[in-house]
Amino acid sequence: MKYILIFLISAVTVLAQVSADDVQTFTLNNGMKIMVLENHSIPNANMYLFYKVGSRNEYPGITGISHFFEHMMFNGAKKYAPKEFDRVMEANGGANNAYTSQNITAYTNWFPSSATEVIFDLEADRIANLNFDAKMIESERGVILSERSTGLENDPLEQLWDQVQDVAFFAHPYKWPVIGYESDIKNWTKEDLENYFHTYYAPNNCVIVIAGDVEFCEIKDLAEKYFEPIPQGPKPREIHTVEPEQLGEKRVFVKREVPNPYVLISYHVPQTGTEEYYALDLLKSILSQGRSSRLYSSIIDKKQLAIDIGTAYWNAFDPTLFHFYGVCSDTVTAAQLENAILTEIDSIINSGVSENELQKVKNQKLMKFYSTTETINGMANTIGTYDLFFGDFKKLFTAPDEYNKVTTKDIQIVAAKYFTRTNRTVGVLQTEEVNQ
Amino acid sequence: MIAKFSLTFLITLLLVVVLSISSFAQFKLPQYKKFELENGLTFYLMEKHDVPLISFSAVFNAGAERDGEHSGIASFTADALRFGTARYTKIQIDSLFNFYGSNLTTYATLDYAGLSTTIMKERANELLPIIKEVISSPTFPEEEIIKRIQRWLTELDQAKESPRAVIGSYYNKLIFGDAPYGNPVDGTKAGIDKLTRTVVQEFYSFNYNPSSSAISVVGDFEAGEMKSLLSELFNDWRPYPVRTIGDLFINESPFDESTVYLIDKSNATETTFLIGGYGIKMSNEDQTQIDVINTILGGRFTSWLNDELRVNAGLTYGARSRFKAYKQSGIFYIYSFTATKNTEAAIDLAIKTYNRLFEKGIDEETLTSAKNYVKGQFPPDYETASALANLLCLMYVYGLTDSYINDFENKVDAMTVKLANRLIKRYFPKEKLQFTLIGKADEIRDVVKKYGKVIERDITEDGF
Repeated sequence: MKYILIFLISAVTVLAQVSADDVQTFTLNNGMKIMVLENHSIPNANMYLFYKVGSRNEYPGITGISHFFEHMMFNGAKKYAPKEFDRVMEANGGANNAYTSQNITAYTNWFPSSATEVIFDLEADRIANLNFDAKMIESERGVILSERSTGLENDPLEQLWDQVQDVAFFAHPYKWPVIGYESDIKNWTKEDLENYFHTYYAPNNCVIVIAGDVEFCEIKDLAEKYFEPIPQGPKPREIHTVEPEQLGEKRVFVKREVPNPYVLISYHVPQTGTEEYYALDLLKSILSQGRSSRLYSSIIDKKQLAIDIGTAYWNAFDPTLFHFYGVCSDTVTAAQLENAILTEIDSIINSGVSENELQKVKNQKLMKFYSTTETINGMANTIGTYDLFFGDFKKLFTAPDEYNKVTTKDIQIVAAKYFTRTNRTVGVLQTEEVNQ
Repeated sequence: MIAKFSLTFLITLLLVVVLSISSFAQFKLPQYKKFELENGLTFYLMEKHDVPLISFSAVFNAGAERDGEHSGIASFTADALRFGTARYTKIQIDSLFNFYGSNLTTYATLDYAGLSTTIMKERANELLPIIKEVISSPTFPEEEIIKRIQRWLTELDQAKESPRAVIGSYYNKLIFGDAPYGNPVDGTKAGIDKLTRTVVQEFYSFNYNPSSSAISVVGDFEAGEMKSLLSELFNDWRPYPVRTIGDLFINESPFDESTVYLIDKSNATETTFLIGGYGIKMSNEDQTQIDVINTILGGRFTSWLNDELRVNAGLTYGARSRFKAYKQSGIFYIYSFTATKNTEAAIDLAIKTYNRLFEKGIDEETLTSAKNYVKGQFPPDYETASALANLLCLMYVYGLTDSYINDFENKVDAMTVKLANRLIKRYFPKEKLQFTLIGKADEIRDVVKKYGKVIERDITEDGF
C-alpha cells in the first residue's frame, strides 16, 4: 500500500535569518564533534564530515594518498561491501561526493530527510570498519591516474600551479600537489592505506555538520547509537615543519604547447584565521572580484593585456600562498603581463586603496554571507569550514564584524609586508622557452 | 566472506523494498504571479523571504540558433548589452553592481539569450533602472565592440586547450550539420572577426522584443510593490518595427551511417569522447520518465556506465550520459575520457554497456532505486531564488506549465518496468551511432575506424 505525504513548500519559507544560536552542538564521548542546523525549507538534509587530514599530512613516497583515501572510503566496509555504500545511498534518494585539499578531507551526503538514519548507518560502517579490497585498490588507481591526467589535459594552469607550489615551498608539505606524484599513485601499498586509516580516520579527528529538515534530538539519538561506539584513536602527529623565510625571488618555467602564455605569481602569506587574514582576504576581493576590480579593469579592460586574470588565497592551517594568475592576450608576452600585475601590486603598496573600494568589498562579503545562508549545503560547508580553519563555527557569524574592522591602512600594510620581490615565486607556462 | 557478502546483499534488498512503499515529502512549485504589460513583456513574480536578496532573470528570443551568417553574434550581442546604455557607461554599470555586492550576467544559449543577477533587496531602486536600460536601450559603443572582438578571438583559441570545453560544439556540428542547432554558441573566429557595431545593433533590434521576452523576479519583496515598480520601468520599452521571425524549423534528417568525427589534438594524452544521436525536445511529455531511465544508464554515480568504465575497469574518472533537450530538437550522448592507449577499450565498453538497455532492459529493483534517487535529489534544485527565477524563465521559453514541477513526482511514480523498456525503444538511439572524439589522431586513427566513417580535422582549425 503506497501512501504519500505532501508537504507544500510555501512561498514564505520558515527560515528567517540564521544566527549562531541556531547551530546546536554536542561532542560524543569518543571526541567526535557534531553541529546541527535545523532548516525545514525543503524536505532534504545533508551530512558533511570533515577529517583533519590532507596532503600536508603526507610525505614523499605516499604523496596523494589522502586523496586516494577519499576514494577508498567508498569501496567497502564491514556491513556494506564494495559498491554498496553508493548503491544503498542512491536507492534511498541520497547522493554524495567528497573532496580533498592540502588541509582537510570532506565527505558530503545530500539526501531526503526520510533517509537520515540510513546515512548514519552507512557512515558509521565505513568509519568503524573500512575494508581494503585488493581489486578495488587497483581499479581505483586507474581512476585516480585518469583524474590526474584529465586535470592536466584540460587546464594548463593546473600544471603551472603544481610547479610553482613545488618551487615556492622549500620545506613544508604544501610543496606537492594534492593529487600526488604519478609514481607515488602507482606504488603505494595496502599497508600504507591501512596505516593512514588508523592514524587519521578516528572520530576524534572528525567534525560533522548536519543541516536541513532534521530535529536536533533525533540527530543526537542517531549519533549516540551509530557514532559513539566507534573507539577514539590516538592524536595524529602534529605537522611541525615550518617553512623557512624565502631569501629571494624564485622563477620557474613550464614548456607546454599553448596558444598564449600563462603567468602565475605567488607570495608567502599567513594562514586562515590570523589577524592579517581579514585584510588579505579583502585585498583579494579588491584585486579580482568583479569587472570593476583592480586587475580586471586595468589589465583586461583598459590595457587589454590578458583574457583572464584572478587571485587565489585558499583556507590553510599553516602559512600559505597568495596567488596572482593571468592568461596573455594575443601578441602580449609573459613578461608584459607579469609587469602589469606587479604594477597593480605596487600601486596598492604605494597609494593604498580607496574607502569606496573597501566599502565595495565589505558589501561583497555581506552578499556572500547571505548567499551562503540561502542553501542548507552552503551553511553546512561554511559552518564546518569555520569550525576547522577559524577554530570555532561561531566566527562565521562575527565575520562581518571582523571584516568591518579592517581599514584602508591595514590593507596597504599587508600588501607592503607580503608582496615583496624577495617573497615571491614567478611561474610562466608557454610553448617556447625565452630569455627574460 | 562469501556468506557475509550475501547477507549484506539481502539487507540491501530489504532496504530497497521497504523504501518502495515509503515516501518522500513532495516538492511543489511555490506560488507566483504572472502578468503582461501592454508592450507584450511577460513578468513572473515570486516572493521568497528567507534571505534579504532578490534574483532577476530575463530571457529573450535571441539565441545562437538565430546566428545565420554571423557565427557567434547572438552570444556576442548578449555580452555587449552591458557595454553601455543611454544613461550609463559600461564602467558605471559594472561599478554600481559590484559596489552593492552583485554581478550582472548576460549570455546566450542555442534557444535564447538571457540576463541574470542577484541583488540585496534594499538596492532594488538603484539597480533595477540599470537592468531596464541594459535590456531596452543598449548603445553598443564601437570602441567596446572592437576591444571585445579581440579578446573573444583569443578566448576561442584558448578554449580549445580544454577538450571538455569544446567537444559539445563539435558534437552538435556532427549531429545537426549546417542546421541552426549546429551553430557553436560562442561562434567561430571567422564569424567573430567580421562583426561590427552595425550588425550587432541590427541583431539586437531584430531579436530583442518585449513581446517575445520574459522577466522573472524572485526574492524578498512585496509582489504588489514590485509589480508597480516593474510596470512603470518597462512600460516604455518599445519594440523596433516588428519583424517577427517565427520559430526555426529543425529537420532531423536520419543518419545514413555511423560517423566518427575525429578531432586531432596532437599534444593530447587522453581521448575525450561523446557517442549518441538525436534526443528529445523540451516539450516532450515523456521527459521526466526518460530522465529516470538515463539516471540508470549514466545519470548518477552507480549508473551502469560509471560502474563499468570507472568502478570496475578503472579506465576513467567518470562516465555519464545525458539527454540535452532544445526547443525544436535535442541530443543524446554518452560522455567519458580515457588515456590515449585505452581509447578502444573504453569506447567498446561504453557501447557494450549501452546495449544492455536494449538487450536486457531495466529490472524492478534498479528502477525503484532510480525513482527514489531522482525524487530525493529534486527539491535542492529549486532551493534558491536564482534557481527559481531561472526556472520561471525556462517555463516561458519552452512553454512549460506548472505541471513540469508539480507532476514530476507523479510521473516518476507512474514508471513501470514495462513503460521504461517501451521508452528505451522509442527514444534511445540504437542504430548508426554518431561519435565525436578529441585526442591524438596518430595513435587512435586506425583503432576508431571500426566505429564508422572517419572524418578528421585538426583542433587548431577555426570552427567546429
